[in-house]
Parts: sequence; structure tokens; C-alpha cells
Amino acid sequence: MNTFYPNRKRNRNSYFSLIAKYLMLLLFPGIAVFAQDAENMIFVSAGTFTMGSDNRAADERPMHKVYLGAYYIGKYEVTNAEYYEFWKQQAAAAAEMQQHTPENFTHIPQIGNWPERAKQFPDHPVVGVSWHDANAYAAWKGMRLPTEAEWEKAARGYTDRIWPWGNAIEPYANTAADNDGYKNGLAPVGSFPKGKSYYGVMDMAGNVWEWTADWYSDVYYWHTSQVFTKRPKRNPTGPVVGSWRVIRGGSWVDKISRCSTTFRFYLYPNLKTSFVGFRLAKTAEKTSK
Amino acid sequence: MRNWLKIVIFLSICLPLSGTADEKSGDHSKYVRHVEQGFSAIFRGDNQTAISEFETALAIEPDHSEILHYLGMAYAQEQFWNKAADSYQRSLALMPDNIEALYSLGVVYFKLDKWADAVPVLEQVVELSPHHARGQEMLGKTLLKLRRYGDAAPALMEALTLKPQAAGTYQELGTAYLNLKEYTKAIENFQKALAFGPGRYAEPHYGLGMAYLRLGDREKSRAEMQIYQQLQKEFAEYERLARLTRAEPNNLEAWSGLASLLMSQKNYPEAVQVFQRCIELAPNNANFHHGLSRTFMALNYPKHAAEAAEKAVQLMPDQSILYNTLGSAYAMQGKRREALVTFQKAIELDSEQPYYHLNVSKLYQSFGNQKLAQEHYRAYEHLLSEQKAKQK
Repeated sequence: MNTFYPNRKRNRNSYFSLIAKYLMLLLFPGIAVFAQDAENMIFVSAGTFTMGSDNRAADERPMHKVYLGAYYIGKYEVTNAEYYEFWKQQAAAAAEMQQHTPENFTHIPQIGNWPERAKQFPDHPVVGVSWHDANAYAAWKGMRLPTEAEWEKAARGYTDRIWPWGNAIEPYANTAADNDGYKNGLAPVGSFPKGKSYYGVMDMAGNVWEWTADWYSDVYYWHTSQVFTKRPKRNPTGPVVGSWRVIRGGSWVDKISRCSTTFRFYLYPNLKTSFVGFRLAKTAEKTSK
Repeated sequence: MRNWLKIVIFLSICLPLSGTADEKSGDHSKYVRHVEQGFSAIFRGDNQTAISEFETALAIEPDHSEILHYLGMAYAQEQFWNKAADSYQRSLALMPDNIEALYSLGVVYFKLDKWADAVPVLEQVVELSPHHARGQEMLGKTLLKLRRYGDAAPALMEALTLKPQAAGTYQELGTAYLNLKEYTKAIENFQKALAFGPGRYAEPHYGLGMAYLRLGDREKSRAEMQIYQQLQKEFAEYERLARLTRAEPNNLEAWSGLASLLMSQKNYPEAVQVFQRCIELAPNNANFHHGLSRTFMALNYPKHAAEAAEKAVQLMPDQSILYNTLGSAYAMQGKRREALVTFQKAIELDSEQPYYHLNVSKLYQSFGNQKLAQEHYRAYEHLLSEQKAKQK
């Protein structure tokens, strides 16, 4: 029997839950089966979703269908405390450690310097990390960065939500606005439970932009849309070359309009800024018995 | 004694070194702060501050290819093309294969009319990244400027393969074919430019006029040229009024003229802003509130439309047309009772307007009152035929 769940030891309850989830998938293929493992990873079932938008920014066009295999995505952005463990373990190789040390933000006391801030703000998302740092951390955890498509599906689900929580402007994200309780700085991850996405993923709008695995191209959606292919593109991974990596979700320095589920932005992968962090993803294993 | 000497020598070597390290770390902190403030400014759209912050950051640590590129982009936004070109060149000296910096440099060369310089740069972009639609399009546009029509066409076609609804690229491809004397293909592309382009896009009509003329179809050519001239005239009028409002921001006549023009062009998003400015200058002029209401209705914002129409009615309570607009806004909001009362008020003030009766008829029909619905529909038909007869 094929399942989309990681191979692990199962007791009777877990078999029961597995059968229930499998039935859910059979009966409601478009509906998510919510699952969460010890690593705070949320399961996103395989299926087709709508990506992009026809009535927002030019690079979000065209709205098109994308098929993604099942995957897990971090419920939260990677925190200072989590990244600290990785950073500490690199200590043996001094050069490596230097490479993956987050940038200091002396001028922003709410963020501060590394590694002090890992102790002072352990639950804040790690910032000041380049795309390469994020990738190295993900590899160290045996995972990877989400693709742009995986990120968008986890944020908007099967609906066309402008923000992860819905279509109304609400103070459910840490943005540049003053009404969200966090002025001029980061919020601990998971501070906005009402802002969670359809799948229950937190902070997909605001707090920090999140590195994705893909190179940025303003016309990539045309390339993967049904203008060129009759069937929805399967598991797109972005262009093969580029200068910028895609970042998603907006941050504490942005207006809410830039924190939408479809808004695309880009940054040089070497840059380490106070407004970009990341979350993890991994492909759900297909095992056969 | 010898130990003291050792200590003095050790300190004299180490102290300056540690000072340098501190200075370096302090300088790097300053660099980070200026870069962050530069990004912040870019996000706010404040390019001048971004330029100053990035320049300061780069004065501290000059060898950051990425920041040099962002600096160039900020200069380009402010149309300081030479400064932008210089920043891009410095960026590329550090990272020669940076596709986006190469593309940016190509664009700046184009803006500076250095078309021959732009071509090899843009060719490098599309060689490094064959799916770079902007690079392909800019290469095509540059080749058009150099009158290399035969080379421009394939680049533009490639751009359209990557971005199939780009009206401007169809227009450029049409121009390339026109110059290559492939008139049928030119027509096809100008038509696509019109299909995908914004409303009142003038240039493709000129291209069509020229292509039909070359094909010997004078009638079609004349028709297209007339549309082109009309749109050009409208555009010139728009430019004149826009310039006037910029030069004289309190010139109500100019703002009012611009509002009328935008309404006739169905450019409702811009019309909203212009009507709002008119209201700022003349808050008690009911016509501006009425215009704003109609604009909101066209944009499908009935709540805002009703608010503006209510204000207009308040200012001129005996104008039937204002009640008709207010009634329509209520009807759009689903407030049928309020709409009916308001349309009836319009009829009370002017019973000779056929469309007021039509609106009342539709509402009665929605309430299921067929008798009154038919009565008002008959009144509508009768008044409309009378109006037509008078016009004849």
C-alpha cells in the first residue's frame, strides 16, 4: 500500500489515525489532512492548488494551477534558539562557523547582536542570515527550504486568501503598522495565532520575509502556466538560473499589502538583513509496504 | 628589567592592532546600519535617501557588488542615468556574470541612447539566462532603434514566448514587421497589442493605418489613422491639463476639466483622485460629489458612491439627477426600499426623464409588484419615444 507519510514505528492508534487520514484523502482529495510531527512540521497533502493572481502585481500573473506532492512545512519560522544550536555545532570548524554567523544589528536594540540575541530573544525568528546560511541550516536538519510554490500553498491553501487568515485587513501579523503590538522590531514566532494559515502554519504574513529555494523570474508563472502546458505543472522548482532568490511573506518593515499570500519579492542570496529569515520544508516520503 | 621591556614591546604591537579590529567592527556596524536604512528607504519609495544611505555604506565598505546594484537601481529610479550606469559597472566589475546587473546596465544604455553599447550587454543577459523575458524585449527594442529589424523580430518573438500578453512587445514586433514589409504579420501584431494593451492605446492604430496603406486598403487605413489622431488629441489634452494642475495646484478649472476628460476615457481610478482634489478645492460644489459618486459606482464601490451622492443631494436638494444616482448606489448595495424612495423623489422633481421610470419599474419588479412595474415601464417607453421624436 502506498502512503504519503514518513516511515516510522506505528502503534495501533497511529494505524487508526493513518487509516482515518487516508479515508479523508480519498473522500476529500482537495482538503488538507492536518498533521504535525515532533519537529513542529505541518503536513500538506498532495494535490493541485491555484498559484498567483490575475489582479495584483504583474509578476503574480497568470493565476494558474500547480500540482505539488505531499510535503511538510515548518509551523514556525526558524528561531534564534534553534539556529544557535547549529551555529554552536559549527564551532569545531572555525571557518564554517564564521560563514554561518548571523549579522549583527547593533543599531536595532530590539534585534541586537549575535550570539547574545540567541539568549535574549530565543523565540524570535533568526534574521541576518543569507540564503546560503538558511540552506546550510536546513541541510544540517536533514531538510530543505520550501520552494516558492510550496510556500504559497502553505500560506493560501485551496482558497484565494489575500492573507493567510482571509481577505480582511486585520492586525494578525507583525508589519510596519503600529496596531499589531510590535513596533520597530520582531515578534516571537507564533505570536499571532489568529493569523495562521488554512493549514495552521504561523506567521506567513509579516514578522520576517522568508527565503525560498527558487531563483526569481518575473515571467516564471507564464512558463509554468497552462498557456504552455495542458496539465498543471508538477512540483515546480523555479528557473535554473538567476541573480535573486525569491523571498515571501513580508516583514516587520513592510506594509500589509506586501504581506499577501501571492506577493513576490527577491533579494541577492548573499545578503543578510534584519527582515529576512526562513522556515524549513521536507518532502513527505512515499513508502510502500 | 628585561621583562618590562618585553611587556612594553608586546603592548606597543598589540594595542594598535586591537584598536584597528575594534574600528573595523565599528565600521562594519555602520555599514550594516546604512545598508538597512537604504533598504528601508527603498521600501518606502524614498530613492534619494536610499542613494545617500547606500553611498555612505559603500564609502565604508566599497566592494559589495549587490549594494552597488541596488544603488544603481535607486539612481535609475531618480533618472540619474550616468550615475546608475557607473554603479552598475562597478557592481559588474566585482560580479561580471550578474544577470540582473547586466540587464540594468543594458536598460541604462538604452535610456542614454547608447544603443550600440546596450546590444552586447543585453546579448550577454539572454545568453546567461535564455528565459529572461525583459532582457529579450529590451534587446529587441534596442535593435529596433538601430534599425536592425531582421534581428529585432526574433528577439521580440522570444520575449513574447516567455510573456505572451505583453502589449508593448506586440507593438514593437508589429513595427519590426512593418519595416520588414511583412504587412500581414505587422497587422496581426498591432491587433494583439490592442487586444492586450490598455484602453485608448494609440500607437497600434498608427501602425495598423500604415500597414493597411501599404497593402492598398485606403479605407481601413484612414479609419485607423482617424482613431490614432483622436487618441493623440485626447492624450495631448490630458497632458496639457495634467501639466496645468502640476503648475497650478489650485486651478479648479484645470482639475475639473481633467476630471471630465478622465470620465470620458473611463479612467475611473485616476478620476477618483481628481474628483477628490476638486472637492478639496470646492467642498460645496455638488457636481464634484456627484462625479465622485458616479466614479465609485463605475469601480463597483457602492458604499462610497452612496456617501458621495448623499453629500451631493445635501448640497443641491432639488436636482433630480442626484437622487437618481443616489438611488442607483442604494440599489447596488441591495438597499431596495431606500432606492425606491430615492428614485421616486427623482421622478417627483422631474417626471419627464424616462430612465427614472425604468429604475422604479425594475425595483417594483424585484418586489413582485407587476402592476406598478408595468405602469412605470410604459411611462419609460412613452417618454423615450417622445425624446427620440424631439431629437429627430
